Amino acid sequence: MVNEGVKKSRSNRTFLLISILPAILILGGFVLMLFWGFYQSLTDMRFGRTRVDFEGFGNYAYLFGRGRFWDSVSLTTTFAFTAVACEAVLGLAIAKLFNTKALLANWCRPVMLLPLVLPPLSVALMWTTMMNPESGVLNYFLGFIGVDNFSWISKADTALLAVVFIDVWTYTPFFALIIFAGLRGISPEILEAARMNGAKAWGLFFRIELPMVLPYIILAALFRLIDSLNQFDIIFGTTQGGPGNATNVLSISAYFTAFQNLQFGRGAAIMIMNWLVVLVSALVMVKLWRYTRDRVS
Amino acid sequence: MLQGKLTSLVLNILILAVVFVMAFPIVWIVMNSFKEAADINAYPPVFVFDSTLENYKVLFDIADAEATNYGTLKVEFFKPVINSLVISVGAVLLSLVAGVPAGYALARYNFRGKEDLAFFVLGFRFAPVLLVVIPIFQFFQVIGLYDSYLGMIWVYQLITLPMIIWLCRSYVEDIPVEIEEAAAICGAKRPQIMLQVVLPLLRTGLVGASLLVFLLAWHNFALGLILTADKTPVPVALLKLLNPGISFYPVVSAGLVISMIVPIGLIILGQRHLERGLTFGALK
Repeated sequence: MVNEGVKKSRSNRTFLLISILPAILILGGFVLMLFWGFYQSLTDMRFGRTRVDFEGFGNYAYLFGRGRFWDSVSLTTTFAFTAVACEAVLGLAIAKLFNTKALLANWCRPVMLLPLVLPPLSVALMWTTMMNPESGVLNYFLGFIGVDNFSWISKADTALLAVVFIDVWTYTPFFALIIFAGLRGISPEILEAARMNGAKAWGLFFRIELPMVLPYIILAALFRLIDSLNQFDIIFGTTQGGPGNATNVLSISAYFTAFQNLQFGRGAAIMIMNWLVVLVSALVMVKLWRYTRDRVS
Repeated sequence: MLQGKLTSLVLNILILAVVFVMAFPIVWIVMNSFKEAADINAYPPVFVFDSTLENYKVLFDIADAEATNYGTLKVEFFKPVINSLVISVGAVLLSLVAGVPAGYALARYNFRGKEDLAFFVLGFRFAPVLLVVIPIFQFFQVIGLYDSYLGMIWVYQLITLPMIIWLCRSYVEDIPVEIEEAAAICGAKRPQIMLQVVLPLLRTGLVGASLLVFLLAWHNFALGLILTADKTPVPVALLKLLNPGISFYPVVSAGLVISMIVPIGLIILGQRHLERGLTFGALK
């Protein structure tokens, strides 16, 4: 009897190992690559050259001393935080709109999935054609409200705005759908009770709905922030970091450093810095999320 | 009463405005893909035009070269479509084979470091893809996996595998454990329980998860850009279309439509799954 128990637990353990090992091996490979990438960032590795010298934090020191690097850091954070803030506000408004009893609300909701399912690079190229300053359809529409020849991605002072706009178009539905689910989750009794106590629509929104969906909004913002701080496809597909360095965010800068200038070590160092920016931002958001969630309950 | 009708009218109009903003760009690109080059560059833009299939013919290299505006330029878009399908489907299948048992184990077994492992898997959602790609690029050059399906399918696991494990774990947790206990009492062994009891119950969930993960694989651009030369997936091929330096927008529009047909088809197949997957599936 005892023997059987031991045997059973052993076969159980084998089964556990067999089920989990392939996944660990596959993912473990990536972790090795990650460490190797970090090691590279400490060297002067170049593609096509066999000699590699260990440099310590030389690459980092070089970056910290360059104004262009700090421009990239501030572009990355400006891009991500602006985009995510716009997406949160618009997403909230759209979620409220689709949470009404309007006839079309339920019917049209699937349309919101459209921007989310398209490949981001296709989205970028699609908007590039529409943003053409001379013949683009976007400026044709803007002409109706008296704005002529808006330069979009073709000039340095509007390029960042244009790529933020594309990010906002693509990912506002992400917020809208999540906040929509949050609004649906509020029990009708709470809202009814508040209404009985004479709360007006705005009061209802600010006192009950907003605080209750706030944790959802922040969680969505956390995920979007991570992706936007790493955004590569949309910017590569539209401006490739230009004009000049107007949209040269860290990921783009790392790509060109590593794969065009072939300075692998320095490119890896830029990516490590990008990752640190992501990490710090994510930690702040998680703190914020805990705070709002505790306040609700 | 009148006021109620008015608000409802305004709300419906606002909803239509949102729908217009979301759908118009896509409708516009579809229209462009059927236009002749002259109509695409026309300003003000034309909304009514004589449609042509020429752009698609050039895209798939079935037009008579002399008959097009592009002379002898050759574009072969069949290949990138096949590449994307092979890599994405391959990546989903490998993720299912490796991820479903792992998801099951994470849901049903208690072992030391289990939560750490789950957190490790979730952590891949935050992994800096470009940072991992620089070493992988060199590694692939050395062992000959650069520009190969096998290499791409492995690299895509970075995106697909953690998602499958995570979703599968939450689906298994939704299945009452009593069903498995009952099977165990009847003498079934673990592998048997998993294959014959749990797997059938997971089927709908896994179909949804596979659709979602296929979509993420189809989207990917950076990995193909860096790790392929010939086995390029669709998004990279699209960008290459812009390189000839001539006004190629009509053909690019046709390519964009091809890259979008597959995901839009997936919405029709599994709207419910995707809505949950693209939002909460990622958060849960």
